[in-house]
Amino acid sequence: MNVGTAHSEVNPNTRVMNSRGMWLSYILGIGLLHVILLSIPFASVPVVWTLTNLIHNLCMYLLLHTVKGTPFETPDQGKARLLTHWEQMDYGVQFTASRKFLTITPIVLVHICSAITRPVLVFEEESSPKRSKFKLSQL
Amino acid sequence: MTESPATKPADGDVCQRVKNGLNLEKNGVLKSLHRCHEQQPKHHCQPEEEEVHAASHHDSQYNRPFLESFEETPMLVAVLTYMGYGILTIFGYLRDFLRHWKIERCHIAREKEEQRDFVPLYQDFENFYTRNLYMRIRDNWNRPICSVPGAKVDLMERTSRDYNWTFEYTGRVVLDVINLGSYNYLGFAENTGPCADSAAEITMKYGVGVASTRQEIGNLDRHEELEKLVAKFLGVESAMVFGMGFATNSMNIPALTGKGCLILSDELNHASLVLGARLSGSTIRVFKHNNMQSLEKLLRDAIVHGQPRTHRPWKKILIVVEGIYSMEGSIVRLPEVIDLKKRYRAYLYLDEAHSIGALGSRGRGVVDYFGLDPCDVDVLMGTFTKSFGAAGGYIAGKWELIEYLRSHSHSAVYATSMSPPVVEQIITSMKCIMGEDGTTIGCDRVRKLAENTVYFRRRLREMGFIIYGNEDSPVVPMMLYMPAKIGAFGREMLKRNIGVVVVGFPATPIIESRARFCISAAHTKEMLDRALSVISEVGDLLQLKYSRRRIQPSLSLPCDDIVFEDIDD
Repeated sequence: MNVGTAHSEVNPNTRVMNSRGMWLSYILGIGLLHVILLSIPFASVPVVWTLTNLIHNLCMYLLLHTVKGTPFETPDQGKARLLTHWEQMDYGVQFTASRKFLTITPIVLVHICSAITRPVLVFEEESSPKRSKFKLSQL
Repeated sequence: MTESPATKPADGDVCQRVKNGLNLEKNGVLKSLHRCHEQQPKHHCQPEEEEVHAASHHDSQYNRPFLESFEETPMLVAVLTYMGYGILTIFGYLRDFLRHWKIERCHIAREKEEQRDFVPLYQDFENFYTRNLYMRIRDNWNRPICSVPGAKVDLMERTSRDYNWTFEYTGRVVLDVINLGSYNYLGFAENTGPCADSAAEITMKYGVGVASTRQEIGNLDRHEELEKLVAKFLGVESAMVFGMGFATNSMNIPALTGKGCLILSDELNHASLVLGARLSGSTIRVFKHNNMQSLEKLLRDAIVHGQPRTHRPWKKILIVVEGIYSMEGSIVRLPEVIDLKKRYRAYLYLDEAHSIGALGSRGRGVVDYFGLDPCDVDVLMGTFTKSFGAAGGYIAGKWELIEYLRSHSHSAVYATSMSPPVVEQIITSMKCIMGEDGTTIGCDRVRKLAENTVYFRRRLREMGFIIYGNEDSPVVPMMLYMPAKIGAFGREMLKRNIGVVVVGFPATPIIESRARFCISAAHTKEMLDRALSVISEVGDLLQLKYSRRRIQPSLSLPCDDIVFEDIDD
């Protein structure tokens, strides 16, 4: 393996998200995380979905927007050393298919999550007639 | 190749058999077809699974079927490959954590204690891949060999007690390993025979070193004779030789183009061409691999819009392609490139590093393979490393071009000239290939290589492996995909006494790691059969037979008697 070889593809990191099967693997990865969290005995389904959402967001934030540079040496003399993976994707071209996909996934996930853990305002009569409270209950 | 083909055929059922001309898809992707198979039964192949490139709409320019295939990665395999890399990354982070907290011993180069607060010398993260992935399977590369790299080679046996961080030699030598990795296409890497004898003789006369550059006092009469011979071999006016193949590209492209010129280079060009293009200071635009529509689009855009800001016309447009791409095994579509070059008045630089001697009925390279005129290519470049068993490179073309290069090339002015025994080896082997030494050895070898190539590729296809590239190219990349299989394949093959070269990310796209076989004319049929049975055995063990196309094993040889069948799995 020529680690750090010079060919036309200066930074192989830029093409990783476009590779065949990457999007499917990403979705399956979220699914796997969800299933693992579901196996925790005392967690209810809404809690698990919330946890999935949180852990997914945290991991994606760390991997895409915090870690800078490439895990291998590139022949571009360090141009990508200060760039996060998100900035490196497609050499900085905005609104490519992968970027749109990666933007939409957390949005979809958070909508699913809030649909599952939907809070409902319930008007409950307390024992004393003078006071009544709104109580948030989870379905 | 890593993306799904953007076009699917409009009618998804059958690959049509068309005799002349073919269907052009809407955005120019060419459909697959085989020519002259009128009596074959209709078959159902699954065109959306693969891209099979066949002859173009300039049908008359191809005097033989141009069959290339790059079968697409099965989706399950891609997902598992990503999973493999993901697990390796997680473990990499874990091990890095352990190393940082000194729980585990750190073998990699570190800064001295007293320089800890200085600006760091080493970027830790940039070595992540080397530390955590490459080191695990490092024993598949840099294997020391201790004999001539012919069809069989001897390896020094080595072991590692600390998981490939350091190696120890056991002292034993692994003998007669079948060599499927050396670029020995015509079998001239030998230590006996007329080439070796003449090289030894010339060493006695001239010594080994030249001790000067070509321009000063290092221009031997053997160099002049070699250059005349190379020009005659290729069918051009004049040629010039250099001591190193890589340096031929990287030092001569800057002499040919400069600022204000445009270089159109293929996506998968070799490191030397990329380096040469970058050193020259020209604008570089990359077109999709072997894709003539992409090249034409770039040419038109370049000519219409001119230089980036000033819109002045380009001083020169140089199209840089290779004869055989060694990572893919594909052959350039030379007739179409020449046609484009003539239409748009660009220059063509053809790097025949792997194809000279290996392709063509007379062994004269890709120009001979397509039956074209070598004067159409402006700069013919090649190396002597692969088919001639020597070292060094050449550039050939018109007389004025070569005279210009003699004084303006960095390699001619500053680099030492080629060593005399190497020169003699090339002279003898080239005369052998041309038939001028009075025997038919050269001719036989060229033919044997072509036969071996066709046989090997056909058998591998029949076994069910995914092979990339053109049917006639002696470079055979076999897909492995998963990172663990890279290491496993190399080691299992060595256990069974066969030496192969495996390549992975980042030299290839992330999921497309491969094993690359180089067929040689020195391989006998028994060696190839043994290699094939071992590859099949290891393929079953590691489950490498991913191909969705199955070819019925045919005992008769003509390569157009191939029937494709559907597999239901």
